[in-house]
Amino acid sequence: MFDLLQQAVDSAIASGAKYSDARILNSKSRSISARNGDIEDFNESESIGIGIRALVGSSWGFYSTYDLSNASIINSGVKAYNIAKASARVPGKEFPLADVPVVEDEYTTPHEKNPFSISSSDQINLLAKSTEEMKKLGSSHASGRLDFWDTEKWFFSSQGHKIYQNIVESGGGISSLSIGDGETQIRSYPQSFGEYRTGGWEVVESFKFENELERLVEESKRLLTAPQCPEGTRDLILEGSQLALQIHESVGHAIELDRILGWEAAYAGASHLDLKKLNKHRYGSELMNIIADATLPGALATFKYDDEGTPAQRVNIVEEGIWKGVLTGRDSAAIAGVSPGGMVRADGYGRIPMVRMTNVGLLPGDSSLDEIIEATDDGVYMETNRSWSIDDIRLNFQFGCEAGWLVKNGKITDMVKNPTYTGITPNFWGSMDMLAGEDEWVFWGTPNCGKGQPGQVGHTGHPSSPARFKNVRIGVKG
Amino acid sequence: MKDWNNFLEEAKKHIPNSVECEIKMISAVNSLTRFANSHIHQNVEEEVSDVYLTIHKNGKTITLNSNITSIDSPNSFIEKALVQVDNSPDDQGWAGMPESESSFNGYKEVKSKDPEERADKVKKFIEVGKGFNAAGYCSTNVDHYFVWNTNGLESSDSTTSAFIDGIFRTDTSSGSSHRGATSLEDIDSEETGLEAFQLSKDSQNPEDIDPGKYEVVLGPEAVSTILVFLGVYGFNAKSKIEGTSPIQLDSQQFDEKLTLIDDPYRDKSLGFKIDASGAPKKTLEIVKDGVPKSLFHTRRTAKELKEENTFHELFGWGDSFGGIGTNLYLNPGSSTKEEMISDVKRGIYINEFWYCRVLDPITQVVTGLNRNGSFLIENGKITKPVGRLRFTQSFISSLGVGNVISVGSESRFADSEFGEGILNVPMLHLKDFNFTGGVSG
Repeated sequence: MFDLLQQAVDSAIASGAKYSDARILNSKSRSISARNGDIEDFNESESIGIGIRALVGSSWGFYSTYDLSNASIINSGVKAYNIAKASARVPGKEFPLADVPVVEDEYTTPHEKNPFSISSSDQINLLAKSTEEMKKLGSSHASGRLDFWDTEKWFFSSQGHKIYQNIVESGGGISSLSIGDGETQIRSYPQSFGEYRTGGWEVVESFKFENELERLVEESKRLLTAPQCPEGTRDLILEGSQLALQIHESVGHAIELDRILGWEAAYAGASHLDLKKLNKHRYGSELMNIIADATLPGALATFKYDDEGTPAQRVNIVEEGIWKGVLTGRDSAAIAGVSPGGMVRADGYGRIPMVRMTNVGLLPGDSSLDEIIEATDDGVYMETNRSWSIDDIRLNFQFGCEAGWLVKNGKITDMVKNPTYTGITPNFWGSMDMLAGEDEWVFWGTPNCGKGQPGQVGHTGHPSSPARFKNVRIGVKG
Repeated sequence: MKDWNNFLEEAKKHIPNSVECEIKMISAVNSLTRFANSHIHQNVEEEVSDVYLTIHKNGKTITLNSNITSIDSPNSFIEKALVQVDNSPDDQGWAGMPESESSFNGYKEVKSKDPEERADKVKKFIEVGKGFNAAGYCSTNVDHYFVWNTNGLESSDSTTSAFIDGIFRTDTSSGSSHRGATSLEDIDSEETGLEAFQLSKDSQNPEDIDPGKYEVVLGPEAVSTILVFLGVYGFNAKSKIEGTSPIQLDSQQFDEKLTLIDDPYRDKSLGFKIDASGAPKKTLEIVKDGVPKSLFHTRRTAKELKEENTFHELFGWGDSFGGIGTNLYLNPGSSTKEEMISDVKRGIYINEFWYCRVLDPITQVVTGLNRNGSFLIENGKITKPVGRLRFTQSFISSLGVGNVISVGSESRFADSEFGEGILNVPMLHLKDFNFTGGVSG
């Protein structure tokens, strides 16, 4: 594979590119979805192809093809160069690439049981049985899905990088939907849209779906008759997976340097953060310590090198509430004058690598969910995301959760339905006054992060533990 | 075409008579030129050739998909599927495949556009807003789709599309615009840029206004987002089966000024005229004078509801997403933009919605925000630009009886939260729209 990559890169450089790199990906995926005991969809997919990037002047040119014949490979380098060159009709300021070590290396995701070596019957049976049982227990629609990815990547650059990586990811989840009079209520496990990590079939085995079926059905039914979440300003306690999405939307996207530089402004949006305020801006309370760490074993966005060959690393993003770091690529890091953090990835051979969250997580505190509840006189505890919306500079957000519980005088009391909360990013994070500790720190994974044009779906990780936020507006209604 | 013919000819030799089999291929060249900070910064092109193989045997079904390079041979691909189908669960919902009479021949050779042609369109867009910061993209696409099945169906279709979409920004404002067409030549990027520039210029230094219920005049992108939510979650027969659709057929659910048609055969419609099963899509009256008339079906949903298939199965999704209309036209009315604004006592002009998410599927209560050009209208005149507002509003109610004051006289392809080229819509003037939060939350 490296010979093919070198041909493509040499061809781009010979055409006139000042830098070029290329990736060949062999991607396998398996997805299974079930409803009420029946398998709705079983799909296996495989693709091999090359994506080559050429830097000419101020623009990247990128060309990808499924055709790996020698003639096509050489043509790919020329095409990438020509596409970049066409950009010179509307040129910008030329930029360098930040220096990174040139390495030759190999890496494979640690995993015990490759999910593609496990009989698909076992995987199908797990979903069929889980959803059948939930249906029998009274769920209106019991659903579940499993997804597995096995991706081999070969990376070569005109600077001499030669890296092979094999990334294995697994996960899934189950849900019970209950339909009442003009409304639906849902409970999901381990989180809405499933939980995903790097690793093999053992990831799914660890979920132990069988222990959660009764609870999911009972709670989704009980929500139909539960009172509405009250409107008002109260203390808000968030369970870890909801907090993970809060981190993703109001921190992770805001700290992407390509957004801050305006490269995503027309579609995904920009950021409320201004680089002039780096190391000064108060993002949240002193309990807020955010990292971006692609080295956490088992987290969804863990690898050894990003798609530019930059080593995976931990970067401090927020320290004791002060904004300290950004997510970078080699181009954006050089432009902004910061270190490249190894945070550039593409979702396949056919897409140009771009700045992507790695495992952007909130470091644990020293409390516990039980202690947080005991310390709360008047609040609402919310679990599991149901809806999410945030403005295009990542400031004004509104989240809905699947279930809420009132907290009165240190105790969980009534369940409430349709819980929502809304806020403004720095005010919200500034109100965090209690944070659960390492025992409740979970590497939540988000497998469906959309960004870029053409669109790409990213896999990101968000370690977090439950936390409390003071005086939050909750119960927004339409 | 050559890849398809070679693959199919060889594959047919290895399909046992005892199975039902469907083979599909999509071949595409998709190109996109992206600009930011008023210059082109990314420029990409992707060549695709993907094969989908479905085998149904003894009540079990398997679907495999691969790009053509990862298939050693058609024979080995079919052999793999034949082994795996035996391990598959029983497929109670299998609804068969279209018959040979549904074959459609729409293939045509098309040359993809050069990056220079897209760069020239981008240049014209950017140049109309000198001094403002421009960002966006210009894309061109050539897609071919081929389907064959053991019932004797053999279908093909080809489609081209081109889009330009961009914004101009200042420190305090932004304005956007969008155009889509079957051909890049039919896109006036200068006019598109001028529209975005004017919105950005006029919306500088916005003022915050209190949340609450307002009359709204919605630009095509905002209208498109409302309709695409109703299309995907409401008129999808799968949502009806699951009990989560808010649509009540044959009831006066929407204002009588609204008529919505799905018509892939209209001149210059975008996208394929056949669905994923290879059969021609039906032209449907979805809403007639405010009354829902039809749902979008796939093979499986039609079987389950014992209704006629409308052939709206999405390519690549199989049946898992249900039926989606991708050629929706909201009939224009008679009001110009100026007339709509002059009819507003106190309301808001919204150019575009952003990040809309469903809070409850049955009531279609959705939350989201405005962006890229919003203005307060007082006594029939735009008086000032306004900042970000969060709405929490039932999309069903927003188009309900009596809430649609007027429908714009001009329509165009508009972008939506679920993609471009799906909807062709005019502007709408609505009586009530519920904004639940401002800049301060």
